[in-house]
Amino acid sequence: MFFKKNDIIVVLSIIIISGIWWLAYKFMFSDKPVKAEIYYYSELAYTIDLNSGAEKTFSIPQNDNVIFHLYEDGSICFEQSDCPDKVCVHAGRLSVIGETAACLPNGIVLKIVPKNNRGADDPDIIIG
Amino acid sequence: MNNNNGLTKTHRLVLTAILFSIAIVLSVVEDALPALPVAVPGIKFGLSNIVVMYSLFFINKRQAILIAVLKALFVLLTKGTVAAALSFSGGIVSLAVMTLFLILFKEKISYLSLSILGAVFHNIGQLTAVSFIYTSVYIWAYLPVLLIAGMIAGAATAALLRCSMPVLKKLNG
Repeated sequence: MFFKKNDIIVVLSIIIISGIWWLAYKFMFSDKPVKAEIYYYSELAYTIDLNSGAEKTFSIPQNDNVIFHLYEDGSICFEQSDCPDKVCVHAGRLSVIGETAACLPNGIVLKIVPKNNRGADDPDIIIG
Repeated sequence: MNNNNGLTKTHRLVLTAILFSIAIVLSVVEDALPALPVAVPGIKFGLSNIVVMYSLFFINKRQAILIAVLKALFVLLTKGTVAAALSFSGGIVSLAVMTLFLILFKEKISYLSLSILGAVFHNIGQLTAVSFIYTSVYIWAYLPVLLIAGMIAGAATAALLRCSMPVLKKLNG
């Protein structure tokens, strides 16, 4: 009753569904131009175009202990941070719309958004 | 599946209290462990769901729903409304799906599969709630990560349930 052969079916279908979902999501948004927004304590501090094809390392003026890296392929990551847990660095490279990484000890949030659709004035979160 | 029809009201009350306190202890222990170094923060095993699963598999649906609701209320007291909404949505969707599969497949489905499905749908329920709170469709980018994470967590909790069953079984006696 604890383990059965049909467990394999359950495991495989979950893996297949997540694979298909991931591909569909990538495909749906891959041709849209994207930018990255960096928030410092909920205020938009920096916006960077991800489709420029440039490679660079930078940090925001509010905190130069946190270093971001923009790659040629249009992905961006937290490269270095002085926070204790390094959750932001573990988040790895982001490139797809909707991906987010945060360094809560430093109050910095990095998110990938479509270039044209949404502005900084749109609500980030609504709590009823 | 044993049905505890013979349980007195007092026995049921005490059983609920003990199961709920085990659930709280498990979640406190889990919070005390260091965060898992994975890409998406907030991913965890959901150890306290062992208690909900035990209630569903070996006691009855009512007991399982009761524990899930109590857990959400406890989160409301300790972590606030948003966290409680997430706990509740995840818990209820997960329980509903596990119950559905139990009814549909009865003896053909293993506890491992049920646990995995429960954990995966816990994440789906939470993500749905998040997409309402955080008004953004882009949040669904995380679904694949959460599905795989749910699968691993579900397998882990099923194994832990297997290990802790001899102890939990004594509660029914």
